[in-house]
Amino acid sequence: MSFEYIKIGKEEKEFISKIEDISGQNLYACYQCGKCTAGCSFSNQMDLTVNQVIHRLQLGQKEKVLSAKSPWVCASCLTCTVRCPRDIDVAAIMESVREYILRYEPERIERMKVTEEKAKKLPNIALVGSFRKNTEL
Amino acid sequence: MKYSYFPGCNLKTNAKEYEHTAVEVSKILDAELVEMPVFNCCGTVHSMVSDNTMRRVAPVRILSRSEEHQKELEDTKNTVVTLCSMCSSTLKVVNEEVKEDEEMLQKINWQLERDNLKYSGHSEVKHYLEILRDEVGFEEIIKKVKKQLKGMKIASYYGCMLLHPDKAKIDDSETPTVMESLTLALGGEVVDWPYFKTCCGSYHVVDKEDIVNNQVLKITEGAKKRGANAIITACPLCAYNLDSQQVFLQKKGVIKETIPVFYFTQLMAIALGIKLKNFEDHHVDPKPLLKSLGLI
Repeated sequence: MSFEYIKIGKEEKEFISKIEDISGQNLYACYQCGKCTAGCSFSNQMDLTVNQVIHRLQLGQKEKVLSAKSPWVCASCLTCTVRCPRDIDVAAIMESVREYILRYEPERIERMKVTEEKAKKLPNIALVGSFRKNTEL
Repeated sequence: MKYSYFPGCNLKTNAKEYEHTAVEVSKILDAELVEMPVFNCCGTVHSMVSDNTMRRVAPVRILSRSEEHQKELEDTKNTVVTLCSMCSSTLKVVNEEVKEDEEMLQKINWQLERDNLKYSGHSEVKHYLEILRDEVGFEEIIKKVKKQLKGMKIASYYGCMLLHPDKAKIDDSETPTVMESLTLALGGEVVDWPYFKTCCGSYHVVDKEDIVNNQVLKITEGAKKRGANAIITACPLCAYNLDSQQVFLQKKGVIKETIPVFYFTQLMAIALGIKLKNFEDHHVDPKPLLKSLGLI
């Protein structure tokens, strides 16, 4: 078993407050019950489960959160948000992680490739939704 | 009664039959959907970021244009009606947000000035299913049914945006009944199943198709296992994902049988005796099922 030294210094606190600012949510309201993860349609596709993402955020572990695939797997279906017993908008926290990357570290994003043939076939709402989730504004 | 109806983008492209059947049905039920003369895209997904007003401008512009439209209509309510569940959710959320936040509404109205528009904050956004349930009533629909949907075992797929978030839900978010009640009113059989709001993967169909396929497999297999022979939905994106990815999965040999996906208005049209134009929006051909049941 390996142990990790947990440090919450200035850098960590800055990251936490930025995420809280963007999402408008109090990260420490979460008591890690795991209901969000249990109800998430995409838990089996995520490298960090939803409650793990929130836990890493509570500790300000920026690198772990920003390198995770989970926020990009989240499709904002909001099941977690309506079920959270602490009334946290969990999906907004996932969105704030995406937004942080888009605003401050866009080099982390892999550029999406869509062929013209596919784009013609897809419904507009799929394209608009995807573009809006993958671009900063 | 007439309603100011906001179509959104998809009803004009790959869900034309949804719009056609809904408008025809609305005339029969005396709750007519009258299209707004001018409208724009709602933005599809509502912004969950707390510090961004820009992304709330488009929905408010639609609300203000609908207010203008409502003034032209006779015998109407202060209601904007949508068919697409993503439009419904986005408009409802932003409508509630600007009602709560006077300052944000002022900022957005300042943006709208150059179009000579102003949103008062007094409109309500309703999904067409809500109109059917609350304004028309299922009793009234039962009276108008000409051909009962005998033999149709229908799994109602709500998807996420009809039930989430709390600001936008049209029914109880864990045990919704509106589509089931409609199915019964039309003489169909209700299938009880657990995947009624399991997300279909939404916009991931653009660049993460695997995720969508995974969800579609779970949802459609779940419906078939419980004896359904049709799935109904209210969302053009859910319909596209469930429909097109089933064909993809069948080609890959992952599934043997497919299950047709309908918009709820298509089945209403069949039951109320309206002739369907075509089935060109479908990927899984629904004609064999409808023919075998003597419905077309």
